[in-house]
Amino acid sequence: MKSTYLGYIIFKERILASRMMVIWPLLAIFILFSSWGLSDPKANLPADIIVDSAYDVMFTSTAFIIFSATLGAVLISFDGISRDKISGVLEIKLSQPMKRSNYARAMVIGHWGAIFIPVTVLNILSIIVIWYRMGELPTIEEVFIHTLGTALLLLWYTTIQLLSSSIAKDMGSSIAMGIGAWMLFTLLWLIVTTVVAGISGVGVENLNSEEYIRVEAMMDLFSPNGVYHHLLEMPLDDIDRGTSPLYIVLAAIAWSLIPLQLFILRISRLKP
Amino acid sequence: MNIWFGDMEPQLKLNNVSWRHNVRDYSSWKPWAKKEGAGIHQIDLEIMSGKILGLVGPNGAGKTTLIRAICGLYNCEGFNKSVEYRRKFIGYMPEQVRWEGRSTVYDALNSIAEMRPTFVDLEKLIRTVGLSSRSNDILDNLSQGMRQRLSLACALMGNPEIIVMDEPLNGLDPLAQRAFSNLMKQLSEKGISIIISSHQVADLEKLVDRIALLHHGQILVEGTLYELRKRMDLDEDSDIVEMICSVTGVDPDEITLDVSSDILLPLRKIGGEEE
Repeated sequence: MKSTYLGYIIFKERILASRMMVIWPLLAIFILFSSWGLSDPKANLPADIIVDSAYDVMFTSTAFIIFSATLGAVLISFDGISRDKISGVLEIKLSQPMKRSNYARAMVIGHWGAIFIPVTVLNILSIIVIWYRMGELPTIEEVFIHTLGTALLLLWYTTIQLLSSSIAKDMGSSIAMGIGAWMLFTLLWLIVTTVVAGISGVGVENLNSEEYIRVEAMMDLFSPNGVYHHLLEMPLDDIDRGTSPLYIVLAAIAWSLIPLQLFILRISRLKP
Repeated sequence: MNIWFGDMEPQLKLNNVSWRHNVRDYSSWKPWAKKEGAGIHQIDLEIMSGKILGLVGPNGAGKTTLIRAICGLYNCEGFNKSVEYRRKFIGYMPEQVRWEGRSTVYDALNSIAEMRPTFVDLEKLIRTVGLSSRSNDILDNLSQGMRQRLSLACALMGNPEIIVMDEPLNGLDPLAQRAFSNLMKQLSEKGISIIISSHQVADLEKLVDRIALLHHGQILVEGTLYELRKRMDLDEDSDIVEMICSVTGVDPDEITLDVSSDILLPLRKIGGEEE
């Protein structure tokens, strides 16, 4: 209970931070404008992307959430521990009688909330935009899966960034680690997947081949963005990449627990 | 090194407390390679109720390390009280904390108070440290003196039995220093033990009951200032340099910047035998 309330205090501090004046408009542009554009019946989308339902719009616009919201999580959390470490405030916090594990949980709750709440508010607004443009609303189940997936994705990035912040000696190293992880999973994962496919003997000339799609689906389980997409694909009948829902759920649990436990362990052993 | 106050039971007892920092080993190609660095060595100390103890020593003597060990930030053995107990009943004020951000003074204190198991009367605490008129100010707008008061407020949370302060007078103007000293005296009269570190004996002279002189991670001597000067045959205005030189047998005129850490050899080598 104490860690939840402390998490709320941290959330309040983070959501009112001046950097939110940059993050809010960026999120709004990416999330709202993508929903507006994708829900246009005259929209001419590349390749074989078909958008003919409210959830299709929400699913396709997640590409923009992955790009903007995850970066927002990095920008909010990069100095979560390192700033207090440099300023000396961490010494005061660590000398308090609160269990270090509870303090770590409070940090995660506060920082995660500071990115999840704005993204959720904008997602709700984007549903209104879709309804206005298409006259159609997603089902409750679809909204639930979308919100849960987004919540988990932001939790994974927040814990990874807080872990980096607790390891880094200064704020520069902390943001370098966070941006590095973000770039790896957001921009470079395709290269990693292609290399793994090549090593496994799967041809990479045709990225739409069944074999390549299976390797890609398997590799996606090792990336937070990939697991996010696997989760969002669950309600879609026309997408089947051959990955068992059990593996997807297990990957989501692993991504939720492993970085969090590493962060708790790190805070428990942290010396100012 | 133990000095007993009659039959008084010490509030905190340190018996053979040692701690070494793990530092990066640059002789190895592995970026994660660590080696044991400086620290504190075989510290015996007793903290008596309602007394003010001054920890004095030059830069790098181990004052901050000893203070952090006392506050439970390092999990080292040799204390008569557990880490949990020490975190609960010892108030800690680190050296020159740079409080910053857009949080208010009240919110910053509230976030620390939430880490304690019992209710903290923040209004009273803010009044005690003289920040009533600034409680709604944001941290970025505080002067160094105000930040020191905020750190002191954190140390006073939860009715501590012992308050530990690392160089608390740094950055304070003479008026604030006097106010600080007066508050320390009032607290000690209420039975709270206080440990203050400083690299200047003069800072603590009128404030402390006893002094422990630290050098190279060891306590060289401990006692009242009068006792120490008498034991070392020093004048009443003798400072820390003369005290260290007296104990180590080095001529003060021989000290230069490049040898100040080498010429003043420790009595015992850290981790080794007595010299």
